[in-house]
Amino acid sequence: MIRVCGLPVSPGVAWGPAALMLQRHPAMRYGIGAALVGREIGRLDQAREASAAQLRAIRARVSQRAGADLASLFEAQVLMLDDELLVPRARHIVETDRVNADWALDRAFDEFCAVFAEVGDEYLRERRGDVADVVGRLRRNLLPATAGAVRGLADLAAPAVLVADELSPSVAAQLDPAMILGLAFETGSRTHHSAILARSLGIPAVAGASAVTRHISPGILVLVDGDAGEVVIDPAPEAIDQARARRARRAAGAGAAAARVAGPAATADGVAVRFLANIERLEEVDGARAAGAEGIGLFRSEFLLGGRALEALDEEAQYRTYRDLAERMAPHPVTIRTFDIDESQASGGAAGDQDEAGRARGEGPSRGPLGLRAIRLSLRHRAAFETQLRALARAGRHGAVRVLLPLVSSVDELREAKDALRSAAGEVEAAGWKLAPMPVGIMIEVPSAALTVDLLAADADFFSIGTNDLIQYCLAVDRSDGRVAALFDPLHPAILRVVRHVIRLARPRGRPVALCGEMAADPGALLLLLGLGVTEFSMSPAAIPEARELVRQVSMGDARRAAVRALNMPTSRDIAALLAARFPALATWPAGRDGRPHMEGQS
Amino acid sequence: MLARTVTIRNALGMHARAAARFVHAAGAFQCRVTVTREDRADRIVDGKSILGLLLLAAARGVTIRISADGADEEDAIGALCRLVDAGFEDEP
Repeated sequence: MIRVCGLPVSPGVAWGPAALMLQRHPAMRYGIGAALVGREIGRLDQAREASAAQLRAIRARVSQRAGADLASLFEAQVLMLDDELLVPRARHIVETDRVNADWALDRAFDEFCAVFAEVGDEYLRERRGDVADVVGRLRRNLLPATAGAVRGLADLAAPAVLVADELSPSVAAQLDPAMILGLAFETGSRTHHSAILARSLGIPAVAGASAVTRHISPGILVLVDGDAGEVVIDPAPEAIDQARARRARRAAGAGAAAARVAGPAATADGVAVRFLANIERLEEVDGARAAGAEGIGLFRSEFLLGGRALEALDEEAQYRTYRDLAERMAPHPVTIRTFDIDESQASGGAAGDQDEAGRARGEGPSRGPLGLRAIRLSLRHRAAFETQLRALARAGRHGAVRVLLPLVSSVDELREAKDALRSAAGEVEAAGWKLAPMPVGIMIEVPSAALTVDLLAADADFFSIGTNDLIQYCLAVDRSDGRVAALFDPLHPAILRVVRHVIRLARPRGRPVALCGEMAADPGALLLLLGLGVTEFSMSPAAIPEARELVRQVSMGDARRAAVRALNMPTSRDIAALLAARFPALATWPAGRDGRPHMEGQS
Repeated sequence: MLARTVTIRNALGMHARAAARFVHAAGAFQCRVTVTREDRADRIVDGKSILGLLLLAAARGVTIRISADGADEEDAIGALCRLVDAGFEDEP
């Protein structure tokens, strides 16, 4: 049994025999005699035909499933096939240089990349990925039928878990959810197009599973945990049993939730606990309601960008989404977090894998967690920020809309953002709209904010603890770096103390504190947080029924006593042992594996 | 032969989908279409080649020169300049 950690990008758990797909293979290269030129050109043309047919089919499918916008990407790819710089150029290379079609294609692509590399503009240079996707497809179509990995997918005799070195959007779009049980791939991030497609197909997926393909032998059993972000190769039978129980509970929970969610959730001793949903698309509202969410605790507005640049998103489109969200969730509150993106995403990149690699190598200005992102970026792109705030202000007339600012690290930053909101609201009112005051809260993710909650409380109406970033910054761990990822420890005593500190500063000032990291989806961590005084949780809708059920079974008194003990324990192992001893139910609770919390990649 | 300059206005510049729209529009005309950047006249690309257009790296604010040569050059120039002016009809 081998475990590989990655980022949970599509929820759910699945297991099955592995199907391995390597897209980054080097092409075979060899010179050919004059007699074979015709044959190689024939192969190239066949690969072109096959690729064009596949891309048109993908385009039609994506258009139905994910909208015309993503589909037009594949239309551009069809054009690239026939571009004089690609297949016709490769054909010319076969004729003049007498090399095989695979080599000629690589040469044509190399030539293109060489010119592209001269191009100064960062954003456009990143677009090379679109061309690489087309070239990858051509290469696969050049392979003999038996070796074609992607066509191999169509040949699968039984459903399988797909393990890949990388998963391009065009391949992801072709996956059949009936045959592909789960996905694990080495590259990618939550906002990668392939991750978004996996979620829309309902296939559990883990991205960024470093070197996972190396451990795969043919047909070996693989378990993909899209909730925890974990791939287990050759899992023990108990691990499968737990996964099966978790899936059954989730399926039952979704059905029974409607019956159980009639009233508000409360602990066994009657303390009310609120569960809200973390979502990123309007379509998730129904699922959130069905799961018993009493509002949206976190709407990740950056997903509206869908890979486009910040400036490309206009006010009307945002307004309509925020308004519909508020109306469909009424009377419950809808908390919309302003764009939480980094620089590459601001210019339209889809959270580039190249960026993560570059960061890992320590290149260039920080594009990582300490760089220009979230509220820092919004304040620098003031026009786009005010566009978003105007849309929010207008949507506020249609329901209980709350604005949540990510990564605030000082009172000055909060005030500057509120100035922007005032100015945006002023413009909207000048245009004749009558606005109601809208609560503005901040994410508690940076230690400086956690330590100054009393000072921030004068300007913030509420707080929301984002555990993933808070843990990352408190423990100085970059989770995308596999060598230190194990240090990312949600039960570290420092984390418990920070949470307690935030609540102690906020409560006397009448400022509610919610917690919106997936830390709360781990049952042990949930009980500790409850004991520390957190009574409002926001999590992915799928995790809510289980969490509600758990909260019903424990008393606040027991949770508080456990938390008090835990606060003075030296290591997270001690804390996990304490939880196991105090709450025997956790041992059989499906979501709790090895007492280890499972987390979501971004909150 | 006719030529006209036009400035890229949409936020994303001449990205893949925008270039695809340009190629589609240019393909509707018989005339030959070439495009250069005002600031780098040495690089001339075929207006009916999506990869060529991508190689221009025409981000927002870049001024490009569109040239058309053939019977319907006037219509072609007009249509292509309108497309660029409209920001390639980018979705919001």
